[in-house]
Amino acid sequence: MVYLKIKRQDESREWYDTFETKETPGMTVLEALFYVQEHMDGSLCFRYACRGAVCGSCGMLINRVPRLACRTQVGIAKKENTREGSGDIFVAGQKSEEENEVILIEPLANLDVIRDLIVDMDSFYNLVDSIKPWISSPEEHPEGGNLMDPDLREQIEKYTNCILCACCHGACPVAARDDTYLSPATLAKAWRMHLDPREDNASRQERLNFVDSESGVWGCDLVYKCVAVCPKKVPPTLGIKALREEIEKNKEN
Amino acid sequence: MREHDIIVIGGGLSGLRAGLEAKRQGADVAVISKVPPIRSHSVAAQGGINASIGTDDSWDSHAYDTVKGSDYLADQDTVEILCKEAPERVYEMENWGTLFSRTGDGKIAQRPFGGAGFPRTCYAGDRTGHNLLHTLYEQVLRAGVRVYNEWMVTRLATDSNRCTGFVALNLLDSELETFRAKAVILATGGYGRIYQRSTNSIINTGFGISLGYRAGVPIQDMEFVQFHPTTLWGTNILITEGVRGEGGYLYNKDHERFMDKYAPESMELAPRDIVARSIQTEIDEGRGFTGGYVQLDITHLGKELINERLGGIRQICIDFAGVDPITEPIPVQPGHHYSMGGISSGKDGLTPLNGLYAIGECACISVHGANRLGGNSLLDTIVFGKRAGEHAANAVKNIAMPSEDSLNESLAEERSNIDSMMGDGGESFADVKDELRQTMQKYVGVYRNREDLETGLANVKALEKRGENIHVKSRVKTFNMELMNVLEVKGMLDIARVITEGALVREESRGAHYRTDFLERDDENWLKHTLAYMKDGGPKLEYKDVTITQFKPMRREY
Ligand SMILES: Cc1cc2nc3c(=O)[nH]c(=O)nc-3n(C[C@H](O)[C@H](O)[C@H](O)COP(=O)(O)OP(=O)(O)OC[C@H]3O[C@@H](n4cnc5c(N)ncnc54)[C@H](O)[C@@H]3O)c2cc1C
Ligand code: SF4
Ligand code: FES
Repeated sequence: MVYLKIKRQDESREWYDTFETKETPGMTVLEALFYVQEHMDGSLCFRYACRGAVCGSCGMLINRVPRLACRTQVGIAKKENTREGSGDIFVAGQKSEEENEVILIEPLANLDVIRDLIVDMDSFYNLVDSIKPWISSPEEHPEGGNLMDPDLREQIEKYTNCILCACCHGACPVAARDDTYLSPATLAKAWRMHLDPREDNASRQERLNFVDSESGVWGCDLVYKCVAVCPKKVPPTLGIKALREEIEKNKEN
Repeated sequence: MREHDIIVIGGGLSGLRAGLEAKRQGADVAVISKVPPIRSHSVAAQGGINASIGTDDSWDSHAYDTVKGSDYLADQDTVEILCKEAPERVYEMENWGTLFSRTGDGKIAQRPFGGAGFPRTCYAGDRTGHNLLHTLYEQVLRAGVRVYNEWMVTRLATDSNRCTGFVALNLLDSELETFRAKAVILATGGYGRIYQRSTNSIINTGFGISLGYRAGVPIQDMEFVQFHPTTLWGTNILITEGVRGEGGYLYNKDHERFMDKYAPESMELAPRDIVARSIQTEIDEGRGFTGGYVQLDITHLGKELINERLGGIRQICIDFAGVDPITEPIPVQPGHHYSMGGISSGKDGLTPLNGLYAIGECACISVHGANRLGGNSLLDTIVFGKRAGEHAANAVKNIAMPSEDSLNESLAEERSNIDSMMGDGGESFADVKDELRQTMQKYVGVYRNREDLETGLANVKALEKRGENIHVKSRVKTFNMELMNVLEVKGMLDIARVITEGALVREESRGAHYRTDFLERDDENWLKHTLAYMKDGGPKLEYKDVTITQFKPMRREY
């Protein structure tokens, strides 16, 4: 048996509900949430799509760590300290002294809650979109496609793997105090676009100017919490540092 | 009432490609989707996308492999379009920023895939879908296409054989609204979740296919259901064919590489239907491991290659099965994977209903026939997505916005439909859904025969009855997931019924449709497409000829 202690919220109030759910081998937190939704309380809401850790829908706080519900096993989470009552956001689970059988589930931090576990992702997407996150390639492609050095590709790939789940945003102390901060995910994407040889120079420069601000790369505390929680091993902080260097190099020239 | 010249329903690869094209052609276009586009199922595609860009390869060799793979049920004129336009569409995606894997000299790399005579599958590691979908979404943002996130379309509106728009439920507040359009493009994806074991996203319920079906459009070749040979045991997350493409071996519990019994020439790289049946036979005849699986072994490929080309797969195995494929074989079993059938549509995505298009996995443009080859479906989405977007943009130039009457009527009907579902008691959607998924898995699966199909059909009919009595108990307005699920279960029942009836009537074995009581393909009687029309009391089946141009049907051997 396992208990899910879930934070609930609607327009007028906030509260916690605890559901006792059966546990099957390998069961994930997302499956446990479905069990509650289908058999115990049809009003519970949360986001999901792929159940395979690729779509980025199901980010939430599990024992106060931002992570994907579909990738987190109930059997592991229930052995952790729930850190109930703590105001902090952590970057990893912590084994508890005794089996506690309770899993604390709350919406992702640093975004407004719409209801239950569903947060306002639009404000996060707007941050991402503000850097014009696309390659401004010309209409016509070269005969046989562009060539790309395989090593450069590998460098870019680390950042391309971002699924925009906002777990990093939920862990970020800067996002917590400043809602104009562009977010680790956005800046990681800015670096991905910057690195890409297919991007045109004017757009690259325009983006670099845009992130050269306190809401951009200079806002970062460099505490690496985003790197630690990212389910796709994207290193936003390294991207931010690289962008800073580019900006400074530019200014020297 | 909202309105746009063209509205695309669905934000996966096919929907985004159509929306982007229509916008590029100057139309006023919007995309509406029940999840934000980048959460669509397309994001999960792993292995790659086919295009004959290799120096010794050619579009007709690609076409031949596709037609042969389809067991000659694909329409050869549409296959020709698919294969001819492939290189251009792939280069275009590359130019827009897709991070394809590269050869040493910087060109797009290609890997071998099942059923292909040439390594023609372009890939981005094992995250091809992710890379393609994010690229297209970025370009959609760049072009300024309007996107409605988290709206579920619940009913198409029609007026004298023309689609005039639709009714949609805003998931944020459960309000219904009408959308008026000169053209509507359905791009709603597959129905994987009507099977108990499926590689598909949880959101793939096939509801979009039933939207078309309920609006009077025929759905085609639904009995052809693709089972992927290698899905991770337990969760059925896909283990891409790319794993076999890179050199993975299949073993039974006696450590025999059993594929030499079934496809001695191509072994693990035979087409999916054949490998899926081979694995199922091993399991059914007692040579699988306890729990019903075989092993897919890549330990001999080495850590470096696995990390470089199959890094995502390795992570999936670790996260979802506790197995590291660098040191241990992966437990796999066949599971539902792809819908060859769908809304009947032509080479520009047009359906028999004026103003309505269907593309991508929800459609049957008939390029996959009885069995789709790996890497051809991502291609299908962007080739026909572009064509539909272009065609619609041209078509809407000369037509007027339809009148509001049919939309207001549809809205009233949908309101009363939803009102009648609210209440306590009755059946729970979860029970009906679970039983439906079990029935399909057990009786309409990899192997079929009359007796099983009849049992399956009786079960589906009984579930349809129970389906009439499902109630939504939750009264919440914001993200009422129960309401969304109840609506979708009804669509799932429609589709299950058509698949089962089509399979029962088709007395032959062709591609993925394998009847143990009719082992041979029967071209004399069954070289034809099934069309199902919704009528009171169930589907009415009709048949139409397959278009054959250059490849005469031959026996399929691998
Ligand atoms: C795990 C996996 C791996 C695969 N790998 C490959 C591969 O390597 N190569 C290959 O060629 N193919 C592959 N395929 C197949 C391929 O990925 C899919 O066929 C293809 O992505 C489908 O794209 P689509 O645009 O048709 O639909 P989807 O991507 O499924 O998008 C459907 C869209 O419709 C929306 N929608 C649905 N219903 C409604 C509604 N009622 N109202 C509003 N919106 C709605 C959804 O929100 C979504 O945006 C794979 C499939 C799976 C399951
Ligand atoms: S960087 Fe990582 S944690 Fe942040 S949104 Fe992307 S995938 Fe999620
Ligand atoms: S459901 Fe897709 S990441 Fe969890």
